[in-house]
Amino acid sequence: MRFAKAAIAAILVFLFQLIVVGRFAVAGAAPDIMTILVVVLVLDMDPVLAVVTGFFLGFLQDLGNASFLGMNALAKCLVAWGVARTGGGLVPESVPFRAALVFAASIVNDIVVLVVTTGFDVPLILVSFFRYSLLSALYAAAVGAVVFVLQGEIAGRMVRAGGRR
Amino acid sequence: MQLRFFLFERHRDKTALVVAVALSIFLMTRDDGGKAATARAFSAVLLGPAVRVGAYFDSMEELRSENRRLRELAASLYHERERLVRQGRERDRLRRLLELREKSPFRFLPCEVIAHSSSRFHQAVTVDRGEADGARAGMAVVGYRGLAGRVTQTFENTSRVLLINNKAIAVSCRDHRSGVVGILEWERGNLFRLEYVGREEDVAPGDTLLTSGLGRLFPEGFPVGTVFQVSTEPGNLSRRIGVVSMADLHKLEELFIVVSGEGWDAEAVFDELQRREGGGETP
Repeated sequence: MRFAKAAIAAILVFLFQLIVVGRFAVAGAAPDIMTILVVVLVLDMDPVLAVVTGFFLGFLQDLGNASFLGMNALAKCLVAWGVARTGGGLVPESVPFRAALVFAASIVNDIVVLVVTTGFDVPLILVSFFRYSLLSALYAAAVGAVVFVLQGEIAGRMVRAGGRR
Repeated sequence: MQLRFFLFERHRDKTALVVAVALSIFLMTRDDGGKAATARAFSAVLLGPAVRVGAYFDSMEELRSENRRLRELAASLYHERERLVRQGRERDRLRRLLELREKSPFRFLPCEVIAHSSSRFHQAVTVDRGEADGARAGMAVVGYRGLAGRVTQTFENTSRVLLINNKAIAVSCRDHRSGVVGILEWERGNLFRLEYVGREEDVAPGDTLLTSGLGRLFPEGFPVGTVFQVSTEPGNLSRRIGVVSMADLHKLEELFIVVSGEGWDAEAVFDELQRREGGGETP
């Protein structure tokens, strides 16, 4: 059941990324919301399961993009592993901490993507990183913070509703 | 045994990561053909509608800006069209005026209305021809459709024309079909009444009225109006005849001052008017 929900969420987020996100770019930088989804999903997961989840989410993204097949799978499995290792257990309810995780995840994801797409061209990587990746990561962290706040609100309501019953 | 423990028990997550990374690199390095291409083609088919939705929203933006541009263009074209229509009408009017001028036995002085009277009950216009051009008080003024009025006052370069839709003017008219003569008097707007026509006289709706030339205030033969109503009231000796003027007297633009012509002498009219004014008679 949890897997089905995650799959549906992944497809919806992927479509959202494909269709909508580009329209909200700020100075050419748009957040990679698939990375946010990876962070949200794998935060409390076992690292092995997190790696598998990250890989498949990245692979899904690869299938939809005309880029290198496996590039996003590589980036997302690394991100998922890192997030799962850092874990939600460290500062479990802290939205700023989770937003920082999204920021870091976005940075890692972008570095991997830049390395692959530029063919290890360091100057180009640096330029792109400082021009777009930092801004995208900040943007993603802000969006991630909103997502975590909403997630906390929804979870709180569900708990309260359960308590009344 | 120790290796298996090391890989799948102690460093399970790292092993999974290494496998995933290796698989990703394998996917990246292998030729993008065969099954991978098929998978991508399949995903492209699945994602096609979503991409089209995105493209639809993109095209919406373009459509919005294009719509704005087209609205501006439509507005300017609309004004251009209005201008051309106005010019077309003017051309038609001028062509008819030219025909009138060429075919008529009268000598005309073309003029243009430069001002309309502001009074509702004293319908008059000012034209751009005056004494310097040969205009004199008493001269008839016509449009391409018919009689418009009479020059009542002249200045160096302009003249004042009293229109026939004015209580001060009465026009002697003849029914073009039957020859019945009556006096045309203004009622309201472009509507007139033909007075002094007996009960038995032959006047019917649709008849055209021309200036009779009697009284010599207006030259003979210019269309004035069309009869639209004829009624006989019991006890009245005359008939009630409604006439609508040929010319739209509220939209006059180009006119002709009738300077002279067969059987009509503007000078004589002028003298006659002078005489009447001197004798206290109304024209």
